[in-house]
Amino acid sequence: MQKSKFLPRGRKDRTVVMVDIRETKSAKAADHFLQVRPGKDFELLTIMRAMIKDQEISEAEVAATGVSMEVLRDLIDQMKKAKFGVMFFGMGLSMTRGKHMNAAALLTFAAEMNAFTKFVAMPMRGHGNVTGADVIMRWQTGYPFGISLNRGYPRYNPGEFSTVDVLVRGDTDCAFIIGADPGATMPKPAIDHLAKVPTIVLDPHVTHTSRLSRVHITTAPAGIAAPGTGYRMDEVPMPLKPALNSPYPSDEEVVRRIKEAIAEKPDWMTNQPQMIESQV
Amino acid sequence: MNAITLRLRQEPVVALEAEVITPDRFAEMSHEEICSSIVYHGKRQLRLDEFFDVDGERSDQLILHGDLHRVRHLGRAMTRGSLTAHGDVGMHLGAHMKAGQIEVFGNASDWVGAEMSGGKIHVHGHAGQQVGAAYRGSLAGMKGGLIIIDGSAGIEVGMRMRRGTIVIGGPAKDFVGLQMKGGTIVLRDGAEIRAGAWMQRGTIISLKPLDMMPTFARSGLQNPTFISVYSSLLKPHGCELPNDAAAGGYLRYAGDRAVPGKGEILVWQEHSANEAY
Amino acid sequence: MLRITGGTVYDPANGIDGEVKDLYIADGRFSSKFETGRTIDATGLVIMPGGVDVHTHVAGGSINFARAMTPEDHRRTQAFIRSKTRRSGLGGMAPTTFATGYLYAGMGWTTVNEAAVPVLSARHTHEELRDIPIVDKSSLVLMANNEIILDLLEEGEDERAKHILAWHIWAAKSYGVKAVNPGGVASWKYGNDAKHLTSKIDGYDHVTPGTIITKFAKMIDELGIPHPLHLHCNNLGAPGNVETTLETMRHLEGSRAHFAHLQYHAYGGDDWGNMRSEAAQLADYFNAHPNMTTDAGAVLFGDTVTITADGPWQHLLYKLTGRKWGNLDVENETGCGIVPYTYRPSNLVNAVQWAVGLELLLLINDPWRVFLSTDHPNGACFWRYPEIIQLLMCSDYRNECMANLPPNIKNKISLPEIDREYTLYEIATITSAGPSRALGLPQKGDLGIGKDADLVIYHQDHDIARMFGHPRYVFKGGEIVIEEGDIRETPDGREYLVQPSYDPEIDKFLRPLFEDRYCMSFENYPVEMERIERSQIQDCVTLGGEGE
Repeated sequence: MQKSKFLPRGRKDRTVVMVDIRETKSAKAADHFLQVRPGKDFELLTIMRAMIKDQEISEAEVAATGVSMEVLRDLIDQMKKAKFGVMFFGMGLSMTRGKHMNAAALLTFAAEMNAFTKFVAMPMRGHGNVTGADVIMRWQTGYPFGISLNRGYPRYNPGEFSTVDVLVRGDTDCAFIIGADPGATMPKPAIDHLAKVPTIVLDPHVTHTSRLSRVHITTAPAGIAAPGTGYRMDEVPMPLKPALNSPYPSDEEVVRRIKEAIAEKPDWMTNQPQMIESQV
Repeated sequence: MNAITLRLRQEPVVALEAEVITPDRFAEMSHEEICSSIVYHGKRQLRLDEFFDVDGERSDQLILHGDLHRVRHLGRAMTRGSLTAHGDVGMHLGAHMKAGQIEVFGNASDWVGAEMSGGKIHVHGHAGQQVGAAYRGSLAGMKGGLIIIDGSAGIEVGMRMRRGTIVIGGPAKDFVGLQMKGGTIVLRDGAEIRAGAWMQRGTIISLKPLDMMPTFARSGLQNPTFISVYSSLLKPHGCELPNDAAAGGYLRYAGDRAVPGKGEILVWQEHSANEAY
Repeated sequence: MLRITGGTVYDPANGIDGEVKDLYIADGRFSSKFETGRTIDATGLVIMPGGVDVHTHVAGGSINFARAMTPEDHRRTQAFIRSKTRRSGLGGMAPTTFATGYLYAGMGWTTVNEAAVPVLSARHTHEELRDIPIVDKSSLVLMANNEIILDLLEEGEDERAKHILAWHIWAAKSYGVKAVNPGGVASWKYGNDAKHLTSKIDGYDHVTPGTIITKFAKMIDELGIPHPLHLHCNNLGAPGNVETTLETMRHLEGSRAHFAHLQYHAYGGDDWGNMRSEAAQLADYFNAHPNMTTDAGAVLFGDTVTITADGPWQHLLYKLTGRKWGNLDVENETGCGIVPYTYRPSNLVNAVQWAVGLELLLLINDPWRVFLSTDHPNGACFWRYPEIIQLLMCSDYRNECMANLPPNIKNKISLPEIDREYTLYEIATITSAGPSRALGLPQKGDLGIGKDADLVIYHQDHDIARMFGHPRYVFKGGEIVIEEGDIRETPDGREYLVQPSYDPEIDKFLRPLFEDRYCMSFENYPVEMERIERSQIQDCVTLGGEGE
C-alpha cells in the first residue's frame, strides 16, 4: 500500500473498519469488524448521525442494530480522531431495503463528520466502466443515469426512466444493451420483457442477455483488444491500451455505424424549436 | 359549460405523455384544437385523437374513461377546473398542480401530486410511490393542497413536503414523511418501516401502531386539541380522526434526532391496548 | 469570402472607437481584400471582436460533479432540442457541454478559458472541452498545492521545481498555471486551511503560502508561459481578507500576475455582521501596479452553484447554508467543493458582494487590466454577462438596483458614489481585447488583418442587456454561427496549449517520487497529444525587464 508523508508506514498507519452482515474475507483483512443486523444499515447510520450531535439514544435502540453502544461509541471516537477518513460502500448497502436512502444515510453521515475531521464517502462500483458512463452522461445530459431523450432533450427521473423500472413495467418496445448483462441480474419481469421485445446486445462474450436477444454483435473487449478510457471509481480517467488484436470491431465503431445508418432515416422530430424555456 | 369527455380508444404500447390534458389548456380550445393537440407516444408526436375519442370543447371540466395506466402527466400544473378519470391513471397525476380538483375512480401510479402547491386530488384506489413528494434533488415536495388516497401507497409518501395534507386510507410502505419539513400526513392503516425518517418539522398521525425509528423520543399519551380541528376539516372528505379521551389517546414521538428535527408523530392508542403502558 | 459593410466598429486592439468600417473575411481570418462572396449589410449595427472569457469553469471533474448535484435546476431551465445536426443540452447553473457552446456563442463569446484542471483529471477535462462546440478553448492546470513541487520548494530546489512544473503543464496539455489558495488546499486534506501568507502548511516547516506564490510567479515568468500566474488568493470570501490580498500583491511586485475573481478577495470588517467593501483600497493599489491583471468575479442576485478547489471555504459555505455539499479529493494534487447557493439582495453579505464586483470594474481605471467575469458559476452563470454590461453602462440602472439593497448597507459600499459609465469601446476591451492580451492570444480580440475572424454584431438598443443578450450575428472563424438567436452552424473549436521547455532527464527524477505517491502508473499520467482534437500550441514568450 502507498506510503506518504503523513502515513510513512503505509498500511500500518491506516485503520480499516469493516461493517457487514456477515464476516467475509474482507473482514479478515480489516483491523475491526462490526456485524450489523441485516436490514438495519439505515437505522445504524441514522443513530450515528444523532450521536455525533450529542443526542441521547437508548442502549436498547442501539443494540437492536446488532452493534452495542460501547462499540459504537468507540467507533465514533476513532473516526473523530482520524486525520482523513473514507467510507466506502457497495451494493450490500444500495441494493437492499431502503436502497438509495441507505446510500444517502452514509453520504450525509460523511458530510456531517466534517464538523470534526476530514471525511469523504465513495461508492465501490460494479465491474466495468460504470463510473465512465456516469461521468459522460453527466457532461452530455446533466444527469448520471435514468435519462429519457424521447422529447429531444434530456429528462431525468429515477424510478421512471431507470433501466430496471422501464423493463419491469414494459415501457419500451426495443432494447439496446452495451457492456452489461441484465439478463443475469435483473428481476424476472424485466428479463421476460427483454425476451419479448427486439433486444440488441453488444458484447465480446455470450451472456445471459445475449442468449435471449434478437441480435448479438460480438465486439472487441475494451482495454484488452480495443482502446478507450476507463474511469476509476474516484472519477480519475485511465487510458485503456489494448494488448491484443481482435477480429471484432470495438463497441464505439459499432455504435458509430448504427448511428450513421439511422441518420439516413427521416427525422421524427420535426417542427421543433431549437430551444424551449420550460420543460415537462 | 358542458364537460369535455375523452374516451381512450387506442391503448398506447409505451408511455403516452399527455401533459396537454389539463383543464387550463382545453378550456380555451375548440373541438378540433383538442383533437389535434400533440401527445408523445414514446418519441413520436401524435394527435390526441389517435388515442382518444373526444366529445365537447371549451370547458375546464374534463372526464376521462379507459385504462389510462400508461398515460402520464394528466392535469400537470393545472390551476382551475376539474379532471375526473374513470380507470387507472399513469405517473405524475396532478404534479405541480396549483388549484382545481382531480378525482380518480381507479388506481394511480407514482408521483401523485408531486411538488403540488394547491388544489385537491382524490384517488379512490391505490397509489404508487412518492405521493406528494419532491422530485429527485428538489428541496421541497408538496407545498400546499390536499391529497387523499383511499387505498394503499408506495414508499416515500410526502417526501420533503413543506405544507398541505396527505391522507392515506390503506397501508403505506417505507419512509412516510421522509425529510418532511412541514404539513400533515394521516395514515389510517399504518405504514411499514422508517416513518418520519430525518423529518425536520411537520406532523404524521397514524391510527395504527408504527414501527418507530430509533431516533425518535417518546413522550406520554395525549389528546391534543388540534386533532379535533383537523378532524372537522377532514370530515367533509370522508376522514375522521378519533379524539375521545375516554377511548384512547395519541402517543407522541419527537424527532428525528438525527437531523436534529422538531417533527412529531402521533400514534393513536386505545385504552384497552394501552394498559401495559 | 465574406464582406461586412457599414457597421460601427469597436476594435480596441487597433484603437478603433466606433468608426464605420468594412471588414473582409477570407479563410477564417480578417483580410485586406475582397473579391467575391456574400456581403452582409451591417449599417446601423455595432461590431465588436468576439468575447473572450479569461476565467470560467465549464469542463472537468468539478463542474461535472455540480451537474450531478443539481437535477432540480436542470429540470426548470431552458432545454436545447436535438436536431440532425445539433446535440441536445440543458442550460442553467451548470450547463451541459453542448449547451455551454450554444450559450456562449449565443451572446457573442467565442473563446473560453477553463480555469482549474488537476493533472489527474486533465484527460477528463479535455474530453469535455472537445464536446463544447463553436468556441475556442484553453485550460489552466492546478499546481500550487502539488505535493512533489511543494516538497522541492521546501528543500530549496527551486530550479528543479521549475522543470517539474513545466513537465506538468505539458503533461496536462494545459495553457497555463492556476494557483488556488496556495498551501490552504494542501492543508485541507487534513481539515485545515492556510489563510495568511505566513500560515503554516500541514506537513511543511519552511514553505508558506507567501513562498509558494512568489516562487510560482517567478517560475512561470522564467518559463515564458504566455499567460501569467493565474492566482486565486488565500482567504477567499472572508471578511477582512483584503489584507491577505494586498499582502499577496506586494509579494508579486516585479512579476506578472493575474488575480482571479478579485471580488471575493476585497472585503473589510472582521465578521459577517460588519463585512464591508474594500474595493476602493484594492483598486488604488492595483491602479498603481501595472504588473497585474484581474477579472471581476462579479456576483448577480439569483440561484447558482459554487464550485472551487478551495475546499475549506466550501465546507464553511455548506455549514452556513445547510444545503447540499459535494467534496472531491483528487489524490494528493488538489480537491474541490461544490455548494448550491442563492445570492439575495436582502442578505447584507450578498449585497456587499454584488457591490464589490461592480466597484472593482468601475474603480480600476485601465480596462486593459480588469476583465468581465463572474467566475462562472460561482458569482453568477456566464450567460448573465449582458446584465453586468448593463450595470456597467447605465448608472441609472445601477441606482435602481441599489434601491433593493438593505438600508444598513450604507457606509459598507462605495458604489453609490460612483457615476462612471462604461462606453462600448471599454466594454469591447474588458470582454475581448483585454482578456485576449492577458491570455497571450494575439489572434483573438482583434479585428486586424490576419487575425481570427471571431466577431459579434449587435443591434443598437437602449436596452443594453437585450442588446448584448441577443446579437444580430455571431461569427466564429469567419462562419456565421448565430443569426438572430438561431444557431446556424456548430463548428468545433480549437484548443490552445503551451509546451514549455524542460530538462528531458527530469522524468528520471520524477518517476520514483511519483510512484511513491500516486496509485496510477507514471506512463498513464500525462495526457496523450492525440487525445487533443484541433490543438494549437502557442509559443512561449521572452519577458524583458520587469519580470527579471
